[in-house]
Amino acid sequence: MGSTGANWFTILPAAVVAVAPATVHATVYMNVEQAQSAMFPNQKLAPRFHQLQPAEIAAIRKASGTAPASRDLRAWKAPDGGWFLLDGVIGKHEFITYAVALTPDGAVRRVEILEYRETYGGEVRNAAWRQQFVGKRFGSPLKLGADIKNISGATLSSRHITDGVRRLLATWQLLLRNG
Amino acid sequence: MADRLTRCRPVLGTFVEITADCEAAIESAFRTIGRVHALMSAHEPESDLSRINRFAHQRAVDVDPWTASVLERALFWSKQSEGAFDPIRAGKSALERGLFPTHPGQPGPEACHWSWLEITGTSIRLLKPACIDLGGIAKGFAVDRAISTLKASESALGLVNAGGDIAGFGPQPWPIQIVEPESRRAIANVVICNGAVATSAHLPGGRADHLPDIDSRLVSATVCAPSAIDADALTKIVLSGSPFAARCLRLADAQAFVLGANGEIRAIQPERQAA
Repeated sequence: MGSTGANWFTILPAAVVAVAPATVHATVYMNVEQAQSAMFPNQKLAPRFHQLQPAEIAAIRKASGTAPASRDLRAWKAPDGGWFLLDGVIGKHEFITYAVALTPDGAVRRVEILEYRETYGGEVRNAAWRQQFVGKRFGSPLKLGADIKNISGATLSSRHITDGVRRLLATWQLLLRNG
Repeated sequence: MADRLTRCRPVLGTFVEITADCEAAIESAFRTIGRVHALMSAHEPESDLSRINRFAHQRAVDVDPWTASVLERALFWSKQSEGAFDPIRAGKSALERGLFPTHPGQPGPEACHWSWLEITGTSIRLLKPACIDLGGIAKGFAVDRAISTLKASESALGLVNAGGDIAGFGPQPWPIQIVEPESRRAIANVVICNGAVATSAHLPGGRADHLPDIDSRLVSATVCAPSAIDADALTKIVLSGSPFAARCLRLADAQAFVLGANGEIRAIQPERQAA
């Protein structure tokens, strides 16, 4: 590399790259409370949690094409009739927690990523690990803004989020609309 | 020390991260990104881009000045790279591979060369039915515009990362990690001060939609340039293995390196300026 004269980038030594352990890279952007106050400023949200029944899950899957990752529908209703929905999607290499704000008539007002957790190998597919991860979310102190890595090169598709939002819209239509 | 907040939203078909010193600046910058998405997404039937693809072969389509400027820059890089970058060829290929929807009234593409696109101010014509794909350049443009918005919001610092197209400014340089696309292992570090870096990758199975031809010996290309729009477009030219890559890098005052299929990282030297 020295002979090329380029010095604007640093190549990481191949040996280090080769032996580096598989890492879990997690970025926390906001916690639930921050997302709620950003999406519904000055509104007190009322929790409307619900455990989805098998028939409801089947209906949601039929209407949206995907099934929820969790049986727990984490929904809050705003005084103005809008909804705050907290959800998670699992990609090939990542688990993403995100929030969707819906208007009173069920239109997407905003989508915000709360946490992006990237991993390698089988971890994401390990159900036990996943459960533990999902459960941790509530009330657990989150270290915000720490160690955010700026990464270029990984091709990240937001398709799973698009599918997730479509599923939440179907959930609203089927279960929350008249709530 | 200035506050530093990072937010992330799904826009432009990827995840966009914006860092600034306050929420209000980030919010404005996301509005800017949303505007670029609304104008230039091939998936929105009423975007400027979709209206061009549907109607510009029949009549001139008037577009937003932002759209016109991206099309101008796309044509510039098409000419300079002698077609290694080509939004019309990329669009035809994306449509054929089912990566783009066909909107009502949209003709099947006949043209597969950039020269069928004609721009007069904000008035756009296609001399043949064609499908334009701005996916190889619009993300970079969105990043540049978002950076301008952050500066206008008087944020002391700013960083925008739209799926690997990154630009930043501020009192301290921004460290950027370049990763191998599939394993996502770090392969190189880059620092940007008042500039941009972008990476495009060749993924197995041809998932890289905006890259109709690729040098199969290359895995990814990273370009550092003053603007993200140029860095974005240049990654496609470098990744194609084009013999005009060095000239294009010089024109943008840019630098590049590639990751080879053999794992080797190699700098691509910009062509030297004639004395």
